Amino acid sequence: MSAVREDHALPSSPESGSEPARAARAVSPGVRASLRRGRTWIVVAVALLAGALVLVALQGAIRAPGPPLAADDPAPGGAQALARVLADRGVEVRQVRSLDAALAEARRGATVFVHDGLGVLDRARIGELAAVADAIVVARPDFASLEVLAPGVRLAGAVDGAPGAAGCAVPAADRAGTLSDGQRLLTIDDDAAASGFTGCFPSGDGFAVVAGTAPDGAEVVLVGATTPFANESIDEAGNAALAVGLLGARDEVVWYLPGPGDADAAEAPTLAELTPGWVSPVLVLLVVATIAAGIWRGRRFGPLVVEDLPVHVPASETGEGRARLYARSSARLRAIDQIRIGTIRRLSAVLRLPRSADVDAVVVSAAQATGQPAASVRALLVDAVPQDDRELVRLARDLDGLERAVHAAIAPDPSLDATDPTGRRT
Amino acid sequence: MALTGRFSLLVALGVVPVVLLGADAAVAWATLLGWLLLALALGGIDLALAASPRRVAVERDLPSRLRLGETVGSELVLRNLGRRRLRAEVRDGWPPSAGVHGRNRSRVDVPAGEGRRVRLALTPTRRGDRVTEAITVRSHGPLGLWARQATLAAPGRLRVLPPFHSRAHLPSRLTRLRELDGRTPILVRGQGTEFDSLREYVRGDDVRSIDWRATARRADPESPGAAKLMVRTWRPERDRRIVIVVDTSRTAAARIGDEPRLDTAYEAALLLAALASHAGDRVDLLLWDRRRRGRVHGASGADLLARMVDTMADVDAELIEADWAGVPAQVRSVTSRRALVVLLTAADSPGSARGLLSVLPQLTARHRVVVASVTDPTLEAAVSRRDELADVYAAAAAERTRLDGDRVAAAVRQLGATTVAAGPAELPPALADRYLELKAAGQL
Repeated sequence: MSAVREDHALPSSPESGSEPARAARAVSPGVRASLRRGRTWIVVAVALLAGALVLVALQGAIRAPGPPLAADDPAPGGAQALARVLADRGVEVRQVRSLDAALAEARRGATVFVHDGLGVLDRARIGELAAVADAIVVARPDFASLEVLAPGVRLAGAVDGAPGAAGCAVPAADRAGTLSDGQRLLTIDDDAAASGFTGCFPSGDGFAVVAGTAPDGAEVVLVGATTPFANESIDEAGNAALAVGLLGARDEVVWYLPGPGDADAAEAPTLAELTPGWVSPVLVLLVVATIAAGIWRGRRFGPLVVEDLPVHVPASETGEGRARLYARSSARLRAIDQIRIGTIRRLSAVLRLPRSADVDAVVVSAAQATGQPAASVRALLVDAVPQDDRELVRLARDLDGLERAVHAAIAPDPSLDATDPTGRRT
Repeated sequence: MALTGRFSLLVALGVVPVVLLGADAAVAWATLLGWLLLALALGGIDLALAASPRRVAVERDLPSRLRLGETVGSELVLRNLGRRRLRAEVRDGWPPSAGVHGRNRSRVDVPAGEGRRVRLALTPTRRGDRVTEAITVRSHGPLGLWARQATLAAPGRLRVLPPFHSRAHLPSRLTRLRELDGRTPILVRGQGTEFDSLREYVRGDDVRSIDWRATARRADPESPGAAKLMVRTWRPERDRRIVIVVDTSRTAAARIGDEPRLDTAYEAALLLAALASHAGDRVDLLLWDRRRRGRVHGASGADLLARMVDTMADVDAELIEADWAGVPAQVRSVTSRRALVVLLTAADSPGSARGLLSVLPQLTARHRVVVASVTDPTLEAAVSRRDELADVYAAAAAERTRLDGDRVAAAVRQLGATTVAAGPAELPPALADRYLELKAAGQL
């Protein structure tokens, strides 16, 4: 009971006690308030994250994507369907990723299925394989494997639609009858034809499947595309029959998908082996430190402060704008007239003429004061029309010169003033 | 929440153990993870040990007003109401024009239950009210890695008054005013004069000012032949009314030289008011564009200037056209007597002065009116420079501007008012001189 009373007493003591200080009202929201305020966004973010997770789970894409045509890959690009069918028929399918394992299996007389989608194998390694294997089925052969296994057979691009009927002596092709769309073609030149290569499923000059004997003696079947083997298209047309026929001929199949270790550069040390183990962690650490520094510098110290600036317009801008207008429209006469009016007003003041004096009076007195002919003064002050910019500048300068001349003529000689402080003229 | 530089340095220092232990990649990754967890843990502990920035009482100690250009001390008293020691950085939410000296980040270390004073020096850069709403407290933990931050309401207001630079001209004008007062009182009666005294005639006095009735009364009964001639003297009348109307419309926003027209008008109004209140005249101030932006009425002595600067402080020019038709009524509401009405405006182009010219007859019929405006001193130089084609056009434009100004001034004079036009630095003394002239001539 007393504990409860204490709890009540604690917060109320600063208010009831003599201490007047009370915590200032906080303007910024606390952690709880910010959570409450950002509730909507937090819920939206969580929902999006959950949705993405569910989507990924549904697509089955959670496992890392394997190499294409893997025997244990149920994805559209895999070949698990074919491998299962072969296994059901009593054919033992063993998937290997290294050349050594493939060679070992091939020596035991298994059919070698090769799909080198990334072009990892070089000629020498294909030659090694061809030397020991009895039967080789190559899906989508690349240039190197064609050169070694079937010299004279060349790549000839894709075919629109399905190729024609089998029409050849290969039993599997014969049973299949037709193939689906999306095949790729191979051509056989005369040398290859002479050395026993025959093509099936013709389309134009090319064939979707080419069979024959390699120079090393192995039975070779080259299938231009991967479609007859892939999960997504194996059930179309005669694809399945071709694939099962080619690979089910013997009891064992080596499913050889060359891995990174079979590459030519396999012996060379990788970047990871060359650098010490701490390099990547240090990079990550520095990134984290940079982010922390960014938060340190970027965290605003309180809300922005409003500065209401008054509007101040330089007054000379109207004058400058007017000058540019004169210049743009080449209003020479108008411009020189403004200067003339100003000059005449100043001259009449200097010459002690009445304010109502007209231009002619100013011209006459200015001419008298300076000793210039009245006609030229009148031309300068009234009549002359500037024809081009050069003349305008000359007129403006002459007006200035006239003004100075009148001033000099009217004003007492300053040198006298300087020599005689009393200003008396001797 | 906020991080400090020390925290990012701590994270970066993880390089050392990662490199030393990380010959093997797996060990290196583990070390990295461990270090990051350690840094996070330290930061969390630091945050948990930091005092709450919300349990702080704030008192503000601030003078309410100062002149532009002066420096003032702003003090905050921070009282730590929490149970932990408050090590904090404090930022006061002044706008940039409040002119805080230094970085506006004050470090305080307040033990639990105690208070500390935070001082800032302010030199405001603009006239008007400078307002701060809140202070921000960033409370660091004992390790200085993470910090808690809160913004606390602590309103403060500092009124920055017009500087009144032109008071430098005041002593010389006051001297002339005293000369005016002490001078032989004028012998000719005018409209703005009042009876001063009777004195004996001395040679040189105007014979028209001899007061025969007084002379008769002063006749010495003992020596009837030796009557002394008495002269009636007049002096400039005191207790005249002066109404200063400052135009705060768009033309007042134009900047000439270093300051907007409005600030020059304020300087001139202040100098005139200071001078006139010394001379015993009563000064009223009106700030007007389309509505009354401010008014000082019935103040005298030292109170007058204080109230004037206070009224002027937060009035800036509005970008609207002035409504001159309302001015006569405003002047009437200030005084029904004859007064000197000083209009501080921009009489520089026929277009913008049309409104002014249309109401001038109403004002000049009842009052003596002076129209004071600031002219651009750079026009003079522009008119006489004729070196290149661009200069010639600029000279023509400047000449046009001056001619416009002259035309408006002539129109103003024709309507019975007088004009004072000078550059920003010269206008206040010029207006004061015009006032002295009018006063000396007894024409107020």
